[in-house]
Amino acid sequence: MMTTPLLEIRQLYKSYQKAQGIFGRKTIQALSDISFSLYPGQTLAIVGETGSGKSTLAKLLVGIETPDSGEILLEGEAVTISDYKKYNHVIRYIFQDPARSLNPHQKVGQMLDDVLRYSTQLDEEQRQDKIHQTLQQLGLMEEHADYYPHMFSGGQLQRVALARALIMDPKLLILDEALTALDPSLRAQIVNLLLELQKNTGLSYLLITNHLRLVRHISDSMLVLHQGKALDYGQTHEVFSNPQHDYSKKLIKSAQS
Amino acid sequence: MILLDIKNLTIELETAEGLIRAVDRVNLTIREGEIRGLVGESGSGKSLIAKAIVGVLNKRWHITADRFSWAGQDLLRLSYEEQRKIIGRDIAMIYQEPSRSMDPTAPILEQLIESIPDSELESSWWGRPFERRKKAIALLHKVGIRDHQAIFNSYPYQLPEGVCQKIMIAMAIAKKPKLLIADEPTTALESTTQAQLFRLLASFNQLKGMSILLISHELETVARNTQTLSVLYCGQLVEAGETATILKQPLHPYTDALIKSVPEFQPDLASKQPLYALPGSIPTLQHLPIGCRLGPRCPNARKECVKTPVLDRLQNHYFSCHFPLQGKK
Repeated sequence: MMTTPLLEIRQLYKSYQKAQGIFGRKTIQALSDISFSLYPGQTLAIVGETGSGKSTLAKLLVGIETPDSGEILLEGEAVTISDYKKYNHVIRYIFQDPARSLNPHQKVGQMLDDVLRYSTQLDEEQRQDKIHQTLQQLGLMEEHADYYPHMFSGGQLQRVALARALIMDPKLLILDEALTALDPSLRAQIVNLLLELQKNTGLSYLLITNHLRLVRHISDSMLVLHQGKALDYGQTHEVFSNPQHDYSKKLIKSAQS
Repeated sequence: MILLDIKNLTIELETAEGLIRAVDRVNLTIREGEIRGLVGESGSGKSLIAKAIVGVLNKRWHITADRFSWAGQDLLRLSYEEQRKIIGRDIAMIYQEPSRSMDPTAPILEQLIESIPDSELESSWWGRPFERRKKAIALLHKVGIRDHQAIFNSYPYQLPEGVCQKIMIAMAIAKKPKLLIADEPTTALESTTQAQLFRLLASFNQLKGMSILLISHELETVARNTQTLSVLYCGQLVEAGETATILKQPLHPYTDALIKSVPEFQPDLASKQPLYALPGSIPTLQHLPIGCRLGPRCPNARKECVKTPVLDRLQNHYFSCHFPLQGKK
């Protein structure tokens, strides 16, 4: 492919130290030799069970943790942890449970305003415009800016969480199990919203989940993680029709049986 | 034989603003050896129904029903002690988050032993501790845990969620119940463990003839593992019947929307195409619409929908809608 990938990961390693006994230390290899690339307007799904390193990977991408070795390239440029302020515009993160990741004491409008105040140069009026515009883009109303999180229903709350992420016009959205907890009919709504946004703005998604049926529908490529190692990586339909490793076979079979 | 037969079950919550009807005249029957699925989104009252069956709702909830019979006996007419006796003997329940519903302060062996009723033991009192232990080991083997020694001395927090759920099942089947209620048994589990668990439940159903009420919000998992299905929306029974028939030909717009929103059931849908979704969101308990509660979100709602539709049937397929998707009769 000619275009540069939006996000490229090269041989990423990460390990944690864990105390064992009084003086001893045990090294836990959370991720070893992970490489993948994600192109604009595409969706990459990362699948794996708990403890497979999915969340560690997401933390490395948003800069909560630093990798031991390896490179993270954003649009062809290597990023380091000190660039975090620069690239938090580009990568945004959506958490699993919107009800718990939003501040219950803060109105939605204030919360969105904070994001803009800390990370952009916009003045008051521009910020208000941007907030209203984003809310509308997500199918919410301008009045919702004066609501507190508890006044929303589950599906709307996930939209608010999306608004907080999308207000910075990011290029990559990391969805950490963001669709799993939703009810089916609301999930369909959010999936449609995400697909539409992708089509209109060329947003890329990194979908971290163990909900395989959804992966099959919305992702272009997928990566199977198991105990910190990448097993299968490729186009989603190829991985689904022809998984190489035993674990991936088991995983895919469990989604179909 | 019909084990559980519930007709017009209504569960109301006492609040400062008056009674709120959380479950509105729901019918439910479970035959011996049947696996019935109960599907509904959050707020549909599926867990309330399960709790009403095992009788663990507190005094704030008012339970009324035209018929609430267990194996021919009307439970609501019995005294509290008699109810507990019957339910305790015949019905077992497993919960959503196993590690949270176990006792965190006791090792697994103690909890397992506690769940074995005296009626299951044969030896005289001095042989009982030994027999209990033997039974506990057998139970763990039954649910597919081979290394019982390591499990026995562990506490729930030390074990993976999947193992905890298996132990919960072991506890539930210790008294050989006639009905097992599984309230979202797999939401906390990995997809590979989920498949294992359903195989386990299916094997108990086939070998022991144990009926299972499988409660979930994921239509696809329920559809794959059940013979009959009841669909709830906001406390109203929307559709009930055989799983295969419902999936093939849903009569209620809500069931139709549920089926269409699952990509798995739509083989013709190309990937990345929009899914079918009902507009709007699930109403909260304080703001329930009158009549058919799907009304405001329903694509075919008309004037008549402000009246609650009565449950209608097409052979063994029950539905409650004024305008079913396939012509009436």
